[in-house]
Amino acid sequence: MAQVLVVDDSSTVRNEVCDFLKANGLQVASAVDGKDGLDKLKSDPAIKLVVSDVNMPNMDGLTMAEKIRGDLKNNAVNIIMLTTENSPSMKERGKAAGIKGWIVKPFNGAAVIGSLKKLVA
Amino acid sequence: MSVRDRIIMLVVLTLVALASIGGYAILQSHWNASEVKVVTEGVVPSALATADMVAQLKDVQISTMAVVTSPDANLARQANDKLSAQKGALQQSLELQLRQASSDTQRGLVEQAMESLANYFAAIDDTAKLKLAGQQTLAEANLFATVGQYQSELEVIVETLRIEKNRTKDSAIDALNRSLTQTVSAISVVSLAAILGLSFLGLLLYRQVILPITHMQEMMSEIATHQDFTHRLPVGSNDEIGRSIVAFNTMIEKIQESSAQLKQKTNDIQTMLQNMPQGILTIAEGNRVHPEYSAFLESIFECSDIAGRDVMELVFANTNLGADSLAQIEAAGGACIGEDVMNFEFNAHLLVGEIEKTMPDGRIKILDLNWSPITDEADITVRLLLCVRDVTELRQLAAEANEQKRELEIIGEILAVSQEKFHEFVASALKFIDENELVIRACPKSQPEAIAKLFRNMHTIKGNARTYGLRHLTNIVHSAEQTYAELRKERPGIAWDQALLLDELAGVRAAVERYAKVNDVSLGRKGPGRRGNVDRYLMVEREQIRKTLHRLETVNTSNLHELIATRDAVRNVLRRLGTEPISQVLAGVFDSTPALAKELGKIPPVVIVEDNGYFVHTQVSGMLKNIFMHLVRNSVDHGLETPDERLAQGKLAAGTIQLQMGVADGMLEIMLSDDGRGLALQRIRQIAEDKGLIETGELLSDEEIARLIFRPGFSTAETVTEVSGRGVGMDAVQDFVKRENGRIDIVFTDQAVGAEFRQFETIVYLPESCAVFAEESDIDDDLEEAELDDQAIDAGDLRAVS
Repeated sequence: MAQVLVVDDSSTVRNEVCDFLKANGLQVASAVDGKDGLDKLKSDPAIKLVVSDVNMPNMDGLTMAEKIRGDLKNNAVNIIMLTTENSPSMKERGKAAGIKGWIVKPFNGAAVIGSLKKLVA
Repeated sequence: MSVRDRIIMLVVLTLVALASIGGYAILQSHWNASEVKVVTEGVVPSALATADMVAQLKDVQISTMAVVTSPDANLARQANDKLSAQKGALQQSLELQLRQASSDTQRGLVEQAMESLANYFAAIDDTAKLKLAGQQTLAEANLFATVGQYQSELEVIVETLRIEKNRTKDSAIDALNRSLTQTVSAISVVSLAAILGLSFLGLLLYRQVILPITHMQEMMSEIATHQDFTHRLPVGSNDEIGRSIVAFNTMIEKIQESSAQLKQKTNDIQTMLQNMPQGILTIAEGNRVHPEYSAFLESIFECSDIAGRDVMELVFANTNLGADSLAQIEAAGGACIGEDVMNFEFNAHLLVGEIEKTMPDGRIKILDLNWSPITDEADITVRLLLCVRDVTELRQLAAEANEQKRELEIIGEILAVSQEKFHEFVASALKFIDENELVIRACPKSQPEAIAKLFRNMHTIKGNARTYGLRHLTNIVHSAEQTYAELRKERPGIAWDQALLLDELAGVRAAVERYAKVNDVSLGRKGPGRRGNVDRYLMVEREQIRKTLHRLETVNTSNLHELIATRDAVRNVLRRLGTEPISQVLAGVFDSTPALAKELGKIPPVVIVEDNGYFVHTQVSGMLKNIFMHLVRNSVDHGLETPDERLAQGKLAAGTIQLQMGVADGMLEIMLSDDGRGLALQRIRQIAEDKGLIETGELLSDEEIARLIFRPGFSTAETVTEVSGRGVGMDAVQDFVKRENGRIDIVFTDQAVGAEFRQFETIVYLPESCAVFAEESDIDDDLEEAELDDQAIDAGDLRAVS
């Protein structure tokens, strides 16, 4: 049972984000790529928020988001992308996949925790 | 009348017209039908019946003839029976005619015929009786006489009746035809009238309804197309159209109002954007600058083609930001625009708040950036608002204020040390620094003894600085000492780098020299100081330093005006350190003037001092006291006349001595003048001749004569008075001034060339650096109040340093 699923292939980022969210009282699960993320989300219906990297091996974050909405038919979970850049085409895809927001790296917990907590509530 | 009423009226009128026409047509056809019936069933058969009657009459005639001519009685009887039947039929026909008679003429004719018929039948009966009685001859005679007569008569009547009947029939048919024609005409006319009337009404309706509606529609289209909300539709009626127009006009009025408000708002915003001294722009999708931005932005970025530019290029090109920061800003901007406002919260921390931008000519501008999202109803960020402020000046001022603060703190630190000790400290510190420099230069590589010496020397400077409480210096020295301490370690964390070490040492030297400069220049304490010399004391109020520091510490560094005001105030305070107002310097001189005047039998003069904002350095105050003591005494003694003399000349009994200060051509000028008798040129010349300073009768200008008083040993007093004749003449005064790199001169202020007495002023010229110009300020006021209040000047408030 977790509230937030953190998906990132970089263990450094993953751990940093997970630790920060845990330290702020959230229950956190993590996944190493898009495929893993989909499996974790399938097995844990309590997840309210997915914070995902974009560029990952096996399945990238945007594809995962599309599959969450498409294959899993899960329109309730909030999806936030962690990114280093964003192009109009990325934003277009994100919008189609119902992505709530984009957090530009580096992850600055203090700046985003308030909004993230609202998305979990 | 409303359009609805008009349409109802038109419909009703149409119905009424149609009903009238229909009713009339029905009525007419009914009447015509009955007429036709009358003609076909009455008039025509009746006319035909009259023709039959003629035949019947012939039959009766023939039958009568048959009766008379029958050969026997039987036959006669049979013929008589037949005759009777025919008579009956004729009788009936005639009776029918009587009933069918349609006019008096016909009726008269029928009655006449009936009468004649009765006579005819009576004659026939008589004849038949005669025959039957066998009286053949009589019967025959009767037949031809009586019967024939009546028969002819009856024939004429019946013929007349037949003609009359025919005539009636023809006229009835004519009447019927006429009536039918009339009906057709009447219906045609009424229909035509109805069509015309209804057409007219329709036209009227069209004009009153359709036209105004069309017109209204055109006007509305016009207004809608041109957005000209000043137009109003004319209200032509009080009907639905009129009310629609009124409603439309009201709507347009409202639109005009709100459009005017919108226009005003837009105008206001435009005016703001045009005039506010701040750069404002909005960033749209694709990081493009929206065409509406504040005009000031152009002066900040020093270019005019801003609309549509890439904000990354316009704002962030040639700045102190690295490529990664730029990429983050670009990504953060992209993540915010067109997305939920939450994304702004996520990424706002990446949007930098201050940049240093290098302009094309190499100047660096410090720009303060303030970001905020512009959202729509759905909380989507449509654009980013970026406020740009050029804070270069502000930052410079803040740095300047910081610098002033440091200087004030340094002053405070220095003032806590006696001049003599401070002088020794600086001298020893510089000596150690010189030594260290030689050591470093001599060692291209690390040498333990050298490092030990460097450390020792620096440690000594630090110890001394700390002892005297020179905190700023201690910090700098400490960091140099730490470097040496690190190098001293077995495994130093840093390498021996000659250049770096020399740089660091130069920093220490600069710090020491700065302290020395503050001491020498700002505080005027150059040199080792002389114990017991009151003139060399510098009075600085501790409270003043505290207040000034407080002001610097509390200044709002984001307020340009406040910063400037504070900087100027502090600058005044700093400038005035080690200076005094001339009135204060010469207070002793002017205080002694009344007593001197009385001694000489004169009324104490009015003394006017105008320093024009200049303050003199304390280094020269002693000299000024000395020379002005002499010059003012000369004025009172030689210049000002006795009250009697003055009154006799129309002057006020009390004389006036005026002292003015100013700076011109790089020199400080102190001018002294009085309203006495002036310079006694004749007398000066006489004395000079007597003393052999000049040849008797030598040609000299007034100015040359005046300058004789500066010759050594010259004295103008007729008797050696208590006052002037102390042996300190004007030559001594000139010496004093020259020692401070100044000069003294006498300038005539009247045009009386060659006169015995001439008005003049004595001008003392000194280097400009002997004075400072300082405007009054809050802190100054505080200071002066404290200085003027004797109670405030006690050992606790003042620090006297020699």
